[in-house]
Amino acid sequence: MTLADYARDHAVHAAVVLVFFLYPPVNGALESSPLAAETAAFLPGITFMIAVLYMGLFAMSFDFVSGYTGYLSFGHAAFYGTGAYFVVLAANGQIPGIPGGTPFMITLLLGALLAALLALVIGSVSFRLTGVYFAMITLGFAQVIYELIRSWGYVSTNPQEGATIGGDGLAIGVPYVDALSLRVGRLTGTSVENLLGLGIDVSATVVSYYALGAVVLASYFAMQRILHSPFGRVMVAIRENEERARAVGYPTYRFKLAAFAISGFFGAVAGGIFAAYARSVSPDNSYFFLVTADALITTIIGGFGTLAGPLFGTAFHQWLEDVLSTESGGLATYIREGVPATVLETDVFGLSVELFVNTALAGRAPLYLGIVFVLFVLFVPNGILGTVRDRLGGTVGKRLPERLRRYRR
Amino acid sequence: MSATALSLGVADPAPLLATGGAADGLRTAVRVLVEGLGKAAVYFTIAVGLTLVFGLMGVLNFAHGAVTMVGAYLGGLVLVLVVGSGTGTLATIGVFFAAMAIVFAVTTAAGSLIELKLIRPIYDRTPTYQILLTFGVSLIIEEVARIVLTLRGIQPDPQWQAPMGTAPDVLLGRTDFLGIAVRRLYLFEVLIGGVVLVAVWLFLTRTLYGLYIRAGSEDTEMVQALGIDVRRAFTVVFGVGTGLAAVGGVLLMWDPIWGPSVLLSIDVLLYAFVVVIIGGLGSFRGTVVAAGIVGIADSVTTWLFTTGVVTFSGLSEVTIFLLLVGMLIVRPQGLYGVEEVGGH
Repeated sequence: MTLADYARDHAVHAAVVLVFFLYPPVNGALESSPLAAETAAFLPGITFMIAVLYMGLFAMSFDFVSGYTGYLSFGHAAFYGTGAYFVVLAANGQIPGIPGGTPFMITLLLGALLAALLALVIGSVSFRLTGVYFAMITLGFAQVIYELIRSWGYVSTNPQEGATIGGDGLAIGVPYVDALSLRVGRLTGTSVENLLGLGIDVSATVVSYYALGAVVLASYFAMQRILHSPFGRVMVAIRENEERARAVGYPTYRFKLAAFAISGFFGAVAGGIFAAYARSVSPDNSYFFLVTADALITTIIGGFGTLAGPLFGTAFHQWLEDVLSTESGGLATYIREGVPATVLETDVFGLSVELFVNTALAGRAPLYLGIVFVLFVLFVPNGILGTVRDRLGGTVGKRLPERLRRYRR
Repeated sequence: MSATALSLGVADPAPLLATGGAADGLRTAVRVLVEGLGKAAVYFTIAVGLTLVFGLMGVLNFAHGAVTMVGAYLGGLVLVLVVGSGTGTLATIGVFFAAMAIVFAVTTAAGSLIELKLIRPIYDRTPTYQILLTFGVSLIIEEVARIVLTLRGIQPDPQWQAPMGTAPDVLLGRTDFLGIAVRRLYLFEVLIGGVVLVAVWLFLTRTLYGLYIRAGSEDTEMVQALGIDVRRAFTVVFGVGTGLAAVGGVLLMWDPIWGPSVLLSIDVLLYAFVVVIIGGLGSFRGTVVAAGIVGIADSVTTWLFTTGVVTFSGLSEVTIFLLLVGMLIVRPQGLYGVEEVGGH
């Protein structure tokens, strides 16, 4: 295979990465243009894009096992939480054998390996079951860990509220080499002033975005590589017809366990980079059932059984959160500022328009997400990427260049 | 069920520990048992609808908890509107039963409509999609509830105190039961749980749709082959299951451990799952027995925590979910479940 073939195969990947890469400067440029109000209202801010990265990776890891082997991992938050708590506790020097100053990249890896081990333990009993029972037993395990971590005084003085990282920002990059690592965190991250002498300042948030993005990209390619290997084909075979896969001679139980461990590993990586950026973790935003539910929703919207789909589903979810948020200039603020007061005070069925905007739009992302989710389940069951693939007759990376070439002739 | 609310639901253990002796030990055991039965009645009422729906249709209804939450608020609304400071105890309890009937009727109709319009089109797909759909419905119900409550000036997350205040004083006190001080609310819950149990049992054994459910939980294909209009049966049963979920909500309304709150939605769902899985998906008898086991496990572990024997505050929650995991490891089909059901 020549380099040109390789480039063509990955053209779509490159395009997506480029869009993510160029997003902060473009968004920044728009914010200082005449379209500033519209940008603030309709384009997600960088903090929401960072959430796209870590939640997107978590949703991809969920899809890795659920979408490709067909076993719904309803307790997937257990791995996300393990990654997040491990990183936080390790940063505070609370994990025996790991000194306080250990580089983040190492603790991230160790946390992910621990989660993979946890997945092996949970999986070894859970994969004897199928269908609803598998979903329920994994949910049960995750809830047990959630309840334990909520009451475990070792984590912090108030375990229900979770734990916080003290000290410096955690660095993503080459361990022990300061020049090749970037600290992350809204306040504790590295910020670059006058980048390469070009007069461009890069804020700590934007630096965190790129650093987290690098981890997500590496994880995506690792998972994609596995799925395209013979191992990944066996995963799909298990989903399509497990009995036949077993009859052909594949030890399906071991394959499922391995897939679960890999998926737990990357779920923990997602949790780890989330904790490093947010610098705190609580039982409710890591181990709780609703964290798994978030991944489930975005996976269905993005495309169940398509690795990149969950990332796009998460992008949609976070866009919705941003547009309907109350803090950073969402749609509600835009309407309140852009629409004349007389309209705002108009009564519609006894409720003023302003009251309607405040209650039905501001902070109501879960409502619209739920509606979109139901509509997807009913009418677009294959999700965004799955449907696009059906239309093109293959993966986008393979079919799109061919289509474009056909038009060029 | 938050840990703070947990401490409200149990009696002060100090005097029991102080006196000691075999007679006191027996009394404590009986008291814990009665509390356990009260909790079991609650667990039974919130889980029975889920098991009926699963038994016939094979649909694990993730919107079940959301409906319970709506039931708690609707029941509360009826009581707040009707019961004043001058209403007598009997009248209040009468209103409570009326509220249950009204809420059951309204939510049964709503549930049938959901089945007809949303779930029916996707029966031909894998069961995963029915789980997903009902989960989406529960998200929407929760958010709509939040919007309505906020518009009415009620905080959605903390418990809504107004309906809890309508509980008659008789139920709040303790009664002397064979020399043991027992919270009357638990006895009341046992009574309601018993009423629901008998009603559902009569529905299952004396009506045509009950027959379909019992047959369907054994072998759905055979039921269809016998020429029964399963589509209509599905609509009716999903409606009844939804209605029972809401009846559970009305029961929770006066209980200080639960109380009307939007957070009920997910809590109830998780506990109902535990009960139906332990009992066996689709088995009525299993749900009765499992609710008893979970209720008594809950009251024993809560008692262990309050006496200070165990200092771990999440004990009862952990025990309940460990029961779920343990049962799935030892006997995945549950106590009385049919082996093939649910292993799609």
